[in-house]
Amino acid sequence: MESDNRGIAVCLTLILAVVLSLMPLSGDWIVWKPNFLLLTVMAWIMRWPNGLGIIFAASVGLLADLLLRTSPGHSMIVFALCAGALSLVSRWAKYLSMLQRTMLMALIITLVAVLEASIFMAYGRPSGIEHLPMKILLSMLVWPFIDLLIARSQPRRG
Amino acid sequence: MANVFNRSSTLLRKLLAVTLLAVLLMIVDNFTPWFKPAYSAVDNLVRPLYWIANIPLRVQEWSANSVTPRSEIESDNLRLTKESLIYHGQLQRMSDLAAENMRLRRLLNATELLQDSVLVTEVIGVSANPLRHTLTIDRGTTDDVFVGQPLLDAEGLMGQIIEVHKGHSTALLITDSNHALPVQVLRNGLRSIAEGRADYNRLNLKFVSPTADIREGDKLVSSGLGGLYPAGYPVGTVLSIVRKPGDNFLEIDIDPSAEIDRSRHLLLLYTSRDSSADAVE
Repeated sequence: MESDNRGIAVCLTLILAVVLSLMPLSGDWIVWKPNFLLLTVMAWIMRWPNGLGIIFAASVGLLADLLLRTSPGHSMIVFALCAGALSLVSRWAKYLSMLQRTMLMALIITLVAVLEASIFMAYGRPSGIEHLPMKILLSMLVWPFIDLLIARSQPRRG
Repeated sequence: MANVFNRSSTLLRKLLAVTLLAVLLMIVDNFTPWFKPAYSAVDNLVRPLYWIANIPLRVQEWSANSVTPRSEIESDNLRLTKESLIYHGQLQRMSDLAAENMRLRRLLNATELLQDSVLVTEVIGVSANPLRHTLTIDRGTTDDVFVGQPLLDAEGLMGQIIEVHKGHSTALLITDSNHALPVQVLRNGLRSIAEGRADYNRLNLKFVSPTADIREGDKLVSSGLGGLYPAGYPVGTVLSIVRKPGDNFLEIDIDPSAEIDRSRHLLLLYTSRDSSADAVE
């Protein structure tokens, strides 16, 4: 029953992340827009490490590819690698403070952004690497809200 | 301890499998069109979410319109009436020039005469990927929209339609890094290719030799070569020209005429090729 509720919560938060991803912004802001889907997936894996993992992240990554019209597999690799890295530290990550979790996410987002930029460069396309610092900063600012939202979506124990 | 190693090796196996699958998908997508139906299906699936995602923008527009004072609306109305008069006057002159142009073409035995008509459309979504410049408009097969159809805003060329659905379509913008369009300098007819570079405010001009007659501030229009875009529509203005020693071509930055990331109401261009002589009259 608890798992069912969590499943619904996962779906709803992913839909919210998709809506936020689709929200139109002016040209100057759109390049700095945080990857809401990735942040949501990371928050869920951090909060529910036994239920969600690499396969979940890869599936959402594939959905992101189809949604963002990037080559299928591109976000899939990125999401899966992030989930893999997070799964290794998930046992103790949930005991970290909000600030420490935010710093951990900043590190992961940086790695992801560099990886994504490398894939784009390999394709000979613009990588957008010059917008990286601002994108990371905005992701760090958004992360606590997503983390809190996911924490609130968890079924209460006892 | 053994449990930890088991966990790590399972993780590694899963990661390896996902990575292999992802690479396979990328290769398949690169060489086949198999994923096109999947893109369309997801596009149709998330279409209601586009409507939800646009709510803040609509609220912002509605509130901006609601709080506009009456005096401002009146002065806007007066200005627009004056502008309309001016444009009507210019249009009369344009029709005269167009008729003269057609007569001259007939004298030169030009067989194709272009007649353009437009359909107003509204942007209902923009690409969530900042490096992919596409937008979704509210017209589809029911309005006879077709793949390759040019899209304009009030200032210039915006892009072309790449996918058509029943009630909406997707357009690739001229600033997308996969887009290139043939242009010419309005002043002297110098031809080149304007290429997108995933920046809403810039285009690159390709293959212009260092000895070419091109200056900062030159206006660029579509040249009509390639047959996709009709000739004469504004594309942009030359912003800067860099000559690098040893390079075969100039590095030229273009400021697009169209308000690529701001325009909400656009025009779909229907160009009919009419070869009858009656059209000249």
